[in-house]
Amino acid sequence: MITNTWALCALWVGLALAATLLAIWFKISTALSEIVVGTVAQLLIGAFLAQGGLLGNTPWITFLAGTGAIVLTFLAGAELDPAVFKTKWREASVIGLAGFFGPFLGCTAIAYYLLHWSVMSSWLCGVALSTTSVAVVYAVMLELGFNVTDYGKSILAACFINDIGTVVALGMIFSPFTIKTLIFVVVSIAVFIVLPFLTPRFFRKYGGRVSELEAKYILFLLFAMGGLAVWAGSEAVLPAYMIGMVLAGTVGKDHSLIRRLRTLTFGLLTPFYFIRAGSFVLVPALIAAPMTMLILFLAKMSTKAVVVFPAVRLHRYEGKSGTYYTLMMSTGLTFGTISALFGLNHQIISQAQYSYIVGTVIASAVIPTMIANSFFLPRHLLPHALPGKPSERTGQQTAAAGEV
Amino acid sequence: MNVALSMAGDMKAKVFVLSVIRPPEPAESAEFHAVLDEGRERYESSFVPIRERAKEREIEIETDVVVGHPAEQIIHKADTIQASLIVMGKRSHTILHRWMLGSNSERVLKYAHCPVMIVH
Repeated sequence: MITNTWALCALWVGLALAATLLAIWFKISTALSEIVVGTVAQLLIGAFLAQGGLLGNTPWITFLAGTGAIVLTFLAGAELDPAVFKTKWREASVIGLAGFFGPFLGCTAIAYYLLHWSVMSSWLCGVALSTTSVAVVYAVMLELGFNVTDYGKSILAACFINDIGTVVALGMIFSPFTIKTLIFVVVSIAVFIVLPFLTPRFFRKYGGRVSELEAKYILFLLFAMGGLAVWAGSEAVLPAYMIGMVLAGTVGKDHSLIRRLRTLTFGLLTPFYFIRAGSFVLVPALIAAPMTMLILFLAKMSTKAVVVFPAVRLHRYEGKSGTYYTLMMSTGLTFGTISALFGLNHQIISQAQYSYIVGTVIASAVIPTMIANSFFLPRHLLPHALPGKPSERTGQQTAAAGEV
Repeated sequence: MNVALSMAGDMKAKVFVLSVIRPPEPAESAEFHAVLDEGRERYESSFVPIRERAKEREIEIETDVVVGHPAEQIIHKADTIQASLIVMGKRSHTILHRWMLGSNSERVLKYAHCPVMIVH
């Protein structure tokens, strides 16, 4: 067992470095790379080098990983575009809530009746598989140019609503409803109302200095509200996401601050979060029962389809556009792993169940997008964003191209 | 870029400079937005000297930054603007990289609907 704190820290940061290099070489997201590196490192180091492997439950690692999840969730909430949300809120609410409740109830039922998981494990499974990935959807929207269309804006707004459902369920369903819950809800609502007015004024008066007042202010808010949430038996990522959303129109537009928070998050915090999340995945469990993961994956896809598709058709997205919309809402990554890790930390699910859920979450981040783009791309909705039609141009054009 | 500008100057052609940001897959929210911001900033600053050089040679120029798979985006843009020629650089990749991810210049060469010039 590694007892030297700095040696253990060097091991984790070294793994984060290796994961980043792999992400750069194979053009995959650092989050996915860190999860995989965490899984493999735990397997190899635990088997051949040191008893206990990466020691993911060491208190300081748990703290850094937890902070990573909180700040990451805050940043995800801060990416909300209020303008998009305002124009499409009614349609997005119907589709987003359908996208949440369908898999939430459906996957819970399948885990309980088909896989014979306990009641609480099944609820946790339902929460973890109810997510959608705003980032995966936004990436595809940008790539195809859908982000400027009503269709694309509607999908993005629905994804946010879907994720709010997941975060609220994670924060509320596993906690007993007591007077503490009531205090948490009342204080949260008061804070969410005050913050958009207070924060910009506070930053204008005291911000813009080397002492990084803004970062400390944000971290204070996240820790304070997270502490209140945990005191009430809830989960710290719930207020983090909400704070991100209410500050999206103000702090979210401060690119310099967001960039500094990203440096802190990617440089130190999220590697601990994702490597830790990966280190708890039991590869032998996945090899021993691959059907469980397949059942969960099909459960997520089918329950999303059964509920989202009719809701989408209701808003006149038919044929390929409806199927594409449905498949896009079947993706998921960050909130799925956050929910699964919450379940494992609170002993709601076993390590084997955690492994199946994380495996399913990763599969759902990749496979629906591939299917959607290969077979259901609604080409008739693609915008013609470039100026000037070909027939209006004269002369020759040379395109010089490059890539990152 | 020099080759493209030189050819455009000789032929009195318009140059369309396209840069492609390739997001990591599957995208994760904060990382994805960070990649977009960094890519856009980097490319916009790299366009400044290119525009100046084009202005000196009196070449009409347009620039754009798009997101997606590089080869797909280059071919799509060339189709949309009805480009007469695609000029692109070639990167040297390891055998493993080429085997795993392929080469963008080879893909563009294979699927583009117009002549392609690869500059070493």
